[in-house]
Order: sequence, then C-alpha cells, then structure tokens
Amino acid sequence: MSEKNKWKYGFFLGCVAPNRYPMIESSIRAVFDHLGAEILELEGASCCPAPGVFRAFHIPTWLVIAARNITIAEELGVDIITGCNGCYGTLRDAWVELEHDHELKKMVNGHLAKVGREFKGSIEPKHIVQVLYQDMGLDYLRGFVKHKFKDLKVAVHYGCHIIKPSDKRPWDGECEDPTFLDEIVEITGAKSINYKDKLQCCGAGGAVRTAVKEISADFSREKLENMRDAGADIIIDCCPFCHLQLDLGQVEANNLYKDMIGEPYKIPVIYITQLLGLSFGIDPNLLGLVKNHDLKGVSPFIPIESFLEKVKTQLT
Amino acid sequence: MTEVDKKLNITGNEKPKIGVYVCHCGVNIGGVVSVPDLVEYAKTLPNVSVGREYKFFCSDVGQKMIKEDIEAGLINRVVVAACSPRMHEPTFRIACKEAGLNQFLFEMANIREHSTWVHMKEPEGAYEVAKDHIRLAIAKARGLAPLAVQKVSVEPACLIIGAGITGMNSAIDLTAAGYKVYLVDRSATIGGHMAQLDKTFPTMDCSSCILTPKMSEISRNKDIELLTYSEVTEVTGYVGNFEVTIKKKPHYVDQVKCTGCGACIDPCPITVGNEFDLGLSTRKAIYVPFPQAIPSQYTIDMDSCVKCGICAREDVCEPGAINYDDEPEYIHVKVGTIIVATGYDEYDPSELKQYGYGKYPNVITGLQMERLLSSFGPVVGKPVKPSDLKDPHSIAFLQCVGSRNFREGGNKYCSRVCCMYATKQARQYKEKHPEADIYIFYMDIRAFGKGYEEFYESAARDYGINYVRGRIAEVRENPLNHNIIIRSEDTLLQQPIEVEVELFILSTGIEPRADSDSVTSLLRIQKSADGFFLEAHPKLRPVDTLTEGIFIAGVSQGPKDIPDSVAQAKGAAASAIGLMAKGEVEIEPFFAVVHSDRCSGCGMCIQNCAYGAIEFVDDRYYGSVASINKALCKGCGACSGNCRSSAIDIIGFSSEQLHSMITKRE
Amino acid sequence: MTEQTVEAKQSESKEWEPKIIAFLCNWCSYAGADLAGVSRIQYPPNIRIVRVPCSGRINAYFIIKSLTDGWDGVVISGCHPGDCHYISGNLVARRRFVILKELLEFFGIDPGRVNFMWASAAEGERFAVLIRKATAIVKKLGPNKKFEKKW
Repeated sequence: MSEKNKWKYGFFLGCVAPNRYPMIESSIRAVFDHLGAEILELEGASCCPAPGVFRAFHIPTWLVIAARNITIAEELGVDIITGCNGCYGTLRDAWVELEHDHELKKMVNGHLAKVGREFKGSIEPKHIVQVLYQDMGLDYLRGFVKHKFKDLKVAVHYGCHIIKPSDKRPWDGECEDPTFLDEIVEITGAKSINYKDKLQCCGAGGAVRTAVKEISADFSREKLENMRDAGADIIIDCCPFCHLQLDLGQVEANNLYKDMIGEPYKIPVIYITQLLGLSFGIDPNLLGLVKNHDLKGVSPFIPIESFLEKVKTQLT
Repeated sequence: MTEVDKKLNITGNEKPKIGVYVCHCGVNIGGVVSVPDLVEYAKTLPNVSVGREYKFFCSDVGQKMIKEDIEAGLINRVVVAACSPRMHEPTFRIACKEAGLNQFLFEMANIREHSTWVHMKEPEGAYEVAKDHIRLAIAKARGLAPLAVQKVSVEPACLIIGAGITGMNSAIDLTAAGYKVYLVDRSATIGGHMAQLDKTFPTMDCSSCILTPKMSEISRNKDIELLTYSEVTEVTGYVGNFEVTIKKKPHYVDQVKCTGCGACIDPCPITVGNEFDLGLSTRKAIYVPFPQAIPSQYTIDMDSCVKCGICAREDVCEPGAINYDDEPEYIHVKVGTIIVATGYDEYDPSELKQYGYGKYPNVITGLQMERLLSSFGPVVGKPVKPSDLKDPHSIAFLQCVGSRNFREGGNKYCSRVCCMYATKQARQYKEKHPEADIYIFYMDIRAFGKGYEEFYESAARDYGINYVRGRIAEVRENPLNHNIIIRSEDTLLQQPIEVEVELFILSTGIEPRADSDSVTSLLRIQKSADGFFLEAHPKLRPVDTLTEGIFIAGVSQGPKDIPDSVAQAKGAAASAIGLMAKGEVEIEPFFAVVHSDRCSGCGMCIQNCAYGAIEFVDDRYYGSVASINKALCKGCGACSGNCRSSAIDIIGFSSEQLHSMITKRE
Repeated sequence: MTEQTVEAKQSESKEWEPKIIAFLCNWCSYAGADLAGVSRIQYPPNIRIVRVPCSGRINAYFIIKSLTDGWDGVVISGCHPGDCHYISGNLVARRRFVILKELLEFFGIDPGRVNFMWASAAEGERFAVLIRKATAIVKKLGPNKKFEKKW
C-alpha cells in the first residue's frame, strides 16, 4: 500500500538545526523518507519565534509571527512537522490559543492581512516524535527495524516544550511521567535507563544559555552527572537546542566546573532520528553520523566514536 | 370581626385603595434614584390613595407608618417598594396582619436587588426600572384578594440523614426536647469521619473519648430509631408531612442473633483492604468497621464474599446468625422535619502527579496519617513508613492539597481544618519522637478559632516544628531508601530549600460527597457553587435550606471543624424543634383552582402535575372536569401553564394578576 | 403618523433601549437575580422582572401578550433541568417553549425576541451574563413595532 500520499508534511526547520546541527535535519529527512512520508518545504518560514525569549518580550508580536509561519503550511494544506521542542512549543501554543480566542484571532488576522495572509487554523503543528508515535505508531515503526542493539544504555532527555503546557499537548495531560520517547528508543533494542531528575530542563531555553551561561552550564552539569551515575552510554534527545546544550554545553560544563566534576564528561549526544535511522539500516552518512572533516568549531563537539563502536559491533 | 375589619370592610370586591411605600434603604436605594420622585410617580397611578417614603420601612418606625394608614382606613392594599420580597415579605405581611389587614393583600416591588444594586452606574436606567417595578407591583396589588392561611399539622418526628458527630448531636438535642428521631447512616456504624481521628485540636482531646459516649447515648436512646447500613430512597410530601422511604441494606448477618463475638473473623478466607483505615490495613469479608462500632453487630461485604459457608458453620457461629439469603427491607416513615448531615469525602490527591501519591510508598494523606497515629489504627499509634515499616525520623507536610486551587476543575475554597490538623499531627509526632525533623510547607496558616493561634504558636516555638512558607515545586524519591526529596522555595528567606524526609504527608482537603447529587434530587435542595449544600442565607440562615422543613448542618454545608459542626447541629435541631413545637405550620394558600365551567376535560393538567394532585371528577353540570387535591398541590402552576381553556388558575399568581402586570399603559 | 415620521421622531430622542419583560421562577432564577444584586454584579437596565412560582406557570399566552402589548423581548428563566423545585415544572416549560418558538417564527415574529434560560439560586454571575446576552440579541432586532396600534 502506498503510504506516500497518506503522510505529507511541511517541514519547519527552525534555527538551531540548520545553523549548528545540520545532521539533525538530515536524519529527520532520511528517516521520514524511509518511512514513506512526503516532506514539503515551507518557503519563506522565519524564526518560529522563540517561545522563551521572544514571547517574554511582546506576546502579540510573537503570536502574529508564529501565525504567519503556520499560514505557510495552511496554504500548502499540510500539517507542520518540526524536530525542535522550541519551535513546537511556539507553533503549537499559538495554534491552540488562536483556536479558542476569537478576539486574538481577529487581531492576528488584522496584521496578517497586511501581508496578504490569513490564519485559518486548518492545519496542526506536530513534533516529529508526535508523528512517529501517534500518526504512524510503534507497530508501523517496528516493521522497519532491521537491526537491534544488544546492550546500549540510553539516557533519554525529553526537554520541556514537548510536554508542557500539558493541556496544549497531545499526550493526554501527561507531563510528570511521559514514556513515549522511551518507547520509541526501545524499539531499536536499546534500553532507556532511569536517572535522577530525568525531566529536568537542559538549561538552554528562556535566554538562560544566552544571558547566564554559567547557570545554564550548571543545569547541564547536573543532568550529565545524573546520567553518568546511572551508567548511560549515550544521550538521546528530540530538540536541537537541548542537543546543543548537552553537546557543546558538555564541553562548557567540563571547563567551567572542572574542579567539581572530577573526570570530564564524554557521553555522546545523539538525536532520536539518528538512532532510529541506524536501526532501520539507513546509511550513517545520511544520518550525519560520519564527520568527514577536521574543521574546528563544527558539531558534534563530544566525540561519538564510542557510540559508533557499539553500532559496529552490535548492529550486524 | 375586628374594629379594623369592619372599618375596612374587606371582601375583595371593594375598590382597591393602595398605599405605596418607597424605601430609601439607607443609601442603597436613595443614593441611586430619587425616592421622592418615585413616590410622586406612584401617586399618579390609578387606585393609589397614599404614597410615602422613609429611610428603613422594615424598622419599627417604618412599619408603624404603614399600620397607621391601615388602621385609619386610608388603604386596603399595601405595596412596599424596597428590597427583595425574599428578604422582607414576611416582615411586612406580619405588619399588615397586626394592623388588621389580611396579610395577602400585600405586594413588594424589588427596587434594590433588581434595580439600584445592579445598575449603580446608570441611575437613569435604574430609575426607569424602579418605576416599572412599582407600576407592576401596583397592578398586581389591584388584583389581590384576601386569603386564609393554610395550617397543616406537623408530625413530631425528625429524619436525620447522616450519623456523624453532627447528626448525632442533632439527634440528642431533638430527643431531649421530646421528639422522635430516625437516624439514618449508610455505613454499618455511626460516628462518621470523627471516629477515624486520633486527637482533636486544640485541646488534644482524644477523639474516641469524646465520641464514644455520644455513640453509646445514641444506641441507648429509646426515642432514636437507629437505622445504620440504610439509605433514604424516596421523600415525598412537604413541611410537617414528609413521607420517607428508607432501604435497610442486607447485612447477611442477623442483627438480633449476632452477639458481636467475632468468632467468624479468623476462619473467613477473604481478605480485602480496610476502608476505615484507608487501605493501610485489611479486614475480612465479614467485619465490623472498627472495634468500637455501634451497632456492634457484624456485616458481610457481599461484593467480596464468596459464600464459602465457613462462617455459617455451627462450630463457628454458635448463635447461627449468618444468613446468605438476606434481602433489603424497605420501611416507610412519616416525619415533620429533615436534617441533612451527610458529611464529606477526603480529597484524593492521585491526580496531582507531581507529589507522587500512589507512586512513592512514603507519600500519604492527612487522614491516613491520622489512622497511623490512632491508638486502634493499623500500627497502634506508632506511625511508620509504608516502605519498610520503620519509624521515620523526618517528616514533611504539604498544605492546601486539593484546596485553594484556581485551575480548571480545582476546588477554589479553603478547607479550613488542614492547617490545624497538620499542626496537631506534627505536635503528636514530635511528642513521640522529639528528635524528629518536622517541616510544614504552607501558603498561609489559618489558625482562626478559639485557642488555635496559641496552639500554632506553641507548635512552632515550643515543639520546634519548621514552618516553611513555600509551595513544594518538586518531589522525587530516593530510589535507595524510598525517602522523599522535596524541593521548595522558602519565600520568607527567599532561598531555595531542599530537604530529604522519610515520610511525606499531603494535607488533603475536604470535598463534598461524590454522590451529593442524589441527596439534592431526593430532597429538592440546592448546592452552592462549591458543591456543598446551599443555605437559605449565608449569614442569617446558615442551617436552613430554601425548602421549608429541611435543614442542613455540619460539613455537608461547607468545610468546618468539630466545634462549628456541633454548633450547626444544635442550630438545625433548634430550628426543627421550633417548627415542630407548635404542632402546626402555616402554608401559603397559593393553590391551583379549577373553573369547572371552562374545563374541557382534556387532562393536560393531570399529565403535567408532578405531585398527582389533579384528578377527574364528575361535575353535575359540566361533566368530567379536573379537580385539585389541596393536600398535594404545591401551587407551582405547571397545570395552568398548559391549560388551553384558561380553566385552571393559581391563587396568588393568577392569570388576571399576571396579565395586569404585562399590560403596558401608554 | 406614518412609519417614517414615527421613526424620525424616535431617532430624535436618545438611543433606543429595548424593554424586556423577564419571568423568573421564585426558587432559582429570582434568587439568582437577588444574588446578582447582593454581589453588585452590574447588567444593563433593560429588564423588568415578574416573579412566578415556577417557569412551568408561564402560559404561552403570557408571552404572546407581552409581545402584542409592545414589550421588545421576553425572558423566561427557571431552574436547571433536573433541579426544579417542583420536580418537573421547568421540563414542562421547556417542551412548551420549543414549540412556541417555532410558532412565533411562523407568525413572522423573530424568535430571538423570546429567550429561555436556566439560572440557579447560586448563579448570580451567570444570571447577569445571560441577561446581557439576551438584551444584546433583542437590541440587535430593534424595537418591536409589529403590534403598534395604528388607529
């Protein structure tokens, strides 16, 4: 049965992935293509805009820009997918708010009319994890698993905006104890381990990383400490900003807190579709797992060799 | 016939001479609209003989003005334009009666609640509304006729639904005054939630010590028919004459033969969670709720029983009291008054996932802690951690769990007792374990009652209990020892605080009973917005309902502690006694009446009457026509609302009166 | 006087405000209106209240008469279904009024002029909200001129 027509999405790229971690975008495209979903480009999409910083300054502006991004997908008649918790937080919160508040919708459309656009609320912004877990379903995904890990301990990091505010998310109000990302991880044969304060924020969002770097590094240091204590081989996340905070941030934590942490952290940080893609048998190059260059200052910053070793030995 | 009657010659057919009295009500009315102008306007309307104004017509002086006009023969109808008739209609009716005028020749125009109080910023609009309400009242007054008040006898018996501390106190006071009481409780014992408490604040009286004498008194009292394990299934009738059907649920144990010896307990093979101990201990399928239960006979929980037959064996139950074929029994009683004292449910904090109740073993509720502290509870008064049954050396309380919650679906009210019971439990535990660290995380400490502030001060100062002002943000479990790690902000010190405690108690709030709707529909009483039963007036009539003869008391009316519950119990009993003492009660004579000459015998009214008060009779001239049974008629008007022949009408709200109010005069 | 001059005269005076007669049941809605008053909840001064024992008391003729006598709108308010003090009076009323509304439309009277609502004794705020709503609907329909006496 041709699934090609069934799943058609507009891919909202956001900022961090294209600019800092292009392998995330690459792996999403590779996995979605493999699963039979069609991806359309959202030409003219701007910054989502950021749910922490931008929304804190002026909510109506944040709402209008978010609505504009949504209208791009509306014109194509497809749901938006994004691989970023932050973009998801903005687009989805804006979508839900405009659904319910007609006065706000009027205000927004008043501004959008100036650029010849209209927010209708006809499409739904979705996270790629939401699409994998709900639109496609675990049973469908399992059908594509070619290789399974035999012994891989994964510290799953959900991040914040994908689960909160719980009344605007598709997880039935669950935000204290979510399991959907762990379940996706485990179809690859890896084991999602429990670690202390698993749902703690990575420390990047809300201008924390930008304004108070040491505090944000303390957040990631604490997370990394707990993950290391629990024996994690790798970290899996579903947000490029968390990914940055746990990867580049790992280097920063190692530097800023070197007296506190003892041995520096070296836990590879992997995006969920990269892990899935490996299990599906997709070429690691397409998943952005092979760094063919020696350029400094290019991600990933924490070497992933130890992970690639396991991939070689465990996935036959 | 009195002098006044002769002077006024009231037959109902005389020309109406209406006195209109417009009240200032202080500045409530006079401050928004011009009362003198309203009086002048009233005087321009036909049949108005007298128009006066005064600051407070409900006062003695005001009433005197009206009475003097009546006695002088100037007026034979009275219209008072003031507050809501639900406030002062009785006051003015009595004034008319005292002056010799039939009390039903009185009408009120509501120009306060329905005008000046709701149109404060639009005085011209308020004035127009007031004018019209006065005009409508005068129109109705023209059509009023003298009526005789109906007197019905009052059965000198009271039904009390709920046998907790409130219901029991009402029962005792009622029997002391010589009335019979039917005391119904759906549980197998009396005592209610108070039986689950260990000590009571602020005196630290042992709850059982003060409760069990009352329970014994109830069981000994010949004038109280105690109906435990029973439920009220139907209530019909009206004040003074309620017909009540009570279902006695089957115990499956003969309550006469059972001696309460308990020989059936050990052999019973079925063990289930004990509801009295809130799941902290077990009981068998055959049980008494707790050792001092009254009645002390046993009951079989048929939902759990497998009818193995062991308890029925001769060598187990000597008196042969077991009866698996027991059936419910329905009894019918007649009472004059009803008191509702159904108590409350404890809030279930499972939905607050962030606190880990139900997930982490060492998180318990306030009432569960009470059972742990109880001398006849699962651990005989020595609280232990559920995870390893060891004594905790550090405990924390979180206040306002399930109360003061303004989120969607949350309980907005304060549950009133939790600050005090947490302080009490903390003190009790500190007495047993002086070395223990105790924290109470709070938003505000509400220590409002007699001796409460002193109790709280002493807890903080003398007992060294740490009161931390801050909502707990995060609760995690230490996987090694099941300790609870609490993260909060100490808002007074403006610092984050993290503590690891061995036992975490959620001071859960009070909720209305989950099935309180069954009571409201049974009795036709209402609930307020918070879900507790609605009182007739929040300040002046806290134990009355809007239905005459039915009273509410205790926590079923709203969260409160034991002293306030007992006070309300006594208040409700006194109100019931007041009603029953005279032996008869006056009922407004607003009934349906049929004009047989117009009745077509269609039967629509009979279909619409919810009380079955209408039936067909054979009229000599008009054939089969409708006829009203005044004993059953409530005067609601559902019959006349549908009558196509205008044959059936309601006295007091007659079609003519209503039409005269609708007619707009240009 | 022709229709036009009547209209002209009306526009001279201040903005027209609808006059709505409201039949409130004694046990719930009248008490709810009292509660709105006690709580000082404000609503526009367009209604005139008539107390009835139950919404079931309202004969369809009262509503028709209200309209023919020149009231711009009619509000009938009773207890919530299931909560009627007289058990089922409000249900009887509800059935009756569904048919009445359709009949009004048949006669060319905008059914928006007649509004049925339920408000309990504890719902002062709700009462005010519903009155504001009904007033706005009737105001939009304009003055009730269908039954003006022309001679």
